[in-house]
Amino acid sequence: MLILGIDTASAQVGVALGGEEGVVAQVRLAQGRRHAEQLAPAVQYVLAEAAVRLSDLAALAVGIGPGLFTGLRVGITTAKVMAQALEIPVIPVASLDLVAYQVRFTDRLIATVADARRGEVYYSLYRSVPGGIQRSGEYRVGPPSDLAAELVATGGDVLLVGDGALRYRQQFAEELDRVEFASPSFAHPSPAALVELACARYGREDFLRPAEVEPLYLRKSDAELSATVVASSRES
Amino acid sequence: MRPRESVVNILGIETSCDETAVGIVTDGRDVACSVIASQVDLHARFGGVVPELASRAHTELVNVVLAQALVEAGMDLSALSAVAACAGPGLAGALLVGVAAAKSLALVLDVPYVAVNHMEGHLYAAFLEEPELAPPMVVLLVSGGHTMIVHMTDHGRYRILGETVDDAAGEAFDKVARLLGLGYPGGPAIDSLGARGNAEAVRFPRPMLDEGYDFSFSGLKTAVLVHWTQEGAAAEADVAASFQEAAVDVLVTKLFRAAEEFAAPTVVIGGGVAANSRLRERVLDEAERRGLRAVVPSAAMCTDNGAMIAAAAFRVLEREGPSSLGSGATPGLRLAGRPR
Ligand SMILES: [Zn+2]
Repeated sequence: MLILGIDTASAQVGVALGGEEGVVAQVRLAQGRRHAEQLAPAVQYVLAEAAVRLSDLAALAVGIGPGLFTGLRVGITTAKVMAQALEIPVIPVASLDLVAYQVRFTDRLIATVADARRGEVYYSLYRSVPGGIQRSGEYRVGPPSDLAAELVATGGDVLLVGDGALRYRQQFAEELDRVEFASPSFAHPSPAALVELACARYGREDFLRPAEVEPLYLRKSDAELSATVVASSRES
Repeated sequence: MRPRESVVNILGIETSCDETAVGIVTDGRDVACSVIASQVDLHARFGGVVPELASRAHTELVNVVLAQALVEAGMDLSALSAVAACAGPGLAGALLVGVAAAKSLALVLDVPYVAVNHMEGHLYAAFLEEPELAPPMVVLLVSGGHTMIVHMTDHGRYRILGETVDDAAGEAFDKVARLLGLGYPGGPAIDSLGARGNAEAVRFPRPMLDEGYDFSFSGLKTAVLVHWTQEGAAAEADVAASFQEAAVDVLVTKLFRAAEEFAAPTVVIGGGVAANSRLRERVLDEAERRGLRAVVPSAAMCTDNGAMIAAAAFRVLEREGPSSLGSGATPGLRLAGRPR
């Protein structure tokens, strides 16, 4: 049983291939935000180096965000269309979970913080549990100060991880006493974590048909928020 | 089912604006299917296309439109020889959905991926309805995003003779429709209201009529606004008809002047505004008067669709070979350009 995992919710393009025996190949390109250009070649590379054909896959797994809208859609569209053509299911996993999962060997409260631009972050909170992580509360978007206030209220030791944690590091360090920051290598969603989590869900037949998979946007489009017209051309 | 060796089936994906479209074309000529999911209702309440909403809808619709296209064509994916996508010009985020979808299919099927210029797609729509059509010809491409006259001397050889210097023609239709309270999209609304009005009621300006092949529709739009504000809402059908006549007059005059200057025996129109009934009528009449051949594709082929992308891809593949799976989309792609 082999699963190909794709995450493009952050500035990174992440692709991993694996099964019950673990991850056999992965690529993480953390520079450039060139998702549309880099994703297909990264998939080709991972498959070729592992000597696996797309027709060998049992399922596609994909990070569904929250994250950068355009990058997110490149990865999700790729997973949806590949799965449709291969007639296999898709396992969607929140990208914030994939950041937390890779730093789970800690007693601290884990806060995954992704840069949401415009002075805001996407975030969610986790505890390490045997065999994985457990999320407490919803996925949220808001200013870093909201998250900081919430963490102060919990009063315990916190591990902050993600590109949003790094961007607002100084602010978090000032507002929180018992805080530690995970290193930049853990800042993006881990495609290996995606494959590991997806394998467990595949075993429980916890998956979707390709057309059912949707991004986790958390935000409405700007136009819906402000109800202003961005472009007036119906047809280009 | 297995493809016969001589048959080339190309699937084309078009997501540059607000249509999620997939078409399959056989041997660059025969349309096996053309499925278009329009998002007009989604954008109507904003009075124009909202790029982020368009991109979201493309991602939601891509699987069903693809499945529907295969059903309508009566084909398995295994029958495809290549997969193409519109890679520009268009809305950046919207284009990338189609590009990602096409590259994914090409990877799974192990067939070439072909990146296609949207304007080249519009140009090749005419070839789908007139299979024996051949260059040289002069083409008017006119839509909400573009207004240009192209001299096509051979397959893949295009020269842009003129373009709009401000608003696209379709934009002017949308803005005038909004002014008259006709809602969105404006083109069809002006078309049907104008049919009941007197086109000679108001003599609106014909901007740049005698100057080369460039267009300007901003001044015309302003003239309609000024007239409307001064004269009031009395005769909106006359205003719609008179505006439409002025816009069409400029388009048709320049198209046929180009045909004459470059001695082109054939004129072709394409793009969303080419569905306008007054424009179609004037082009056919003028061609008959001058003894030229006019190709006016059906409204369904004038609007954005996947079949036109597949038709253009057939020629691009023949001429330049497959595109790189590492190529992206180029929102401002020029005709005859190719995305990196
Ligand atoms: Zn178009």
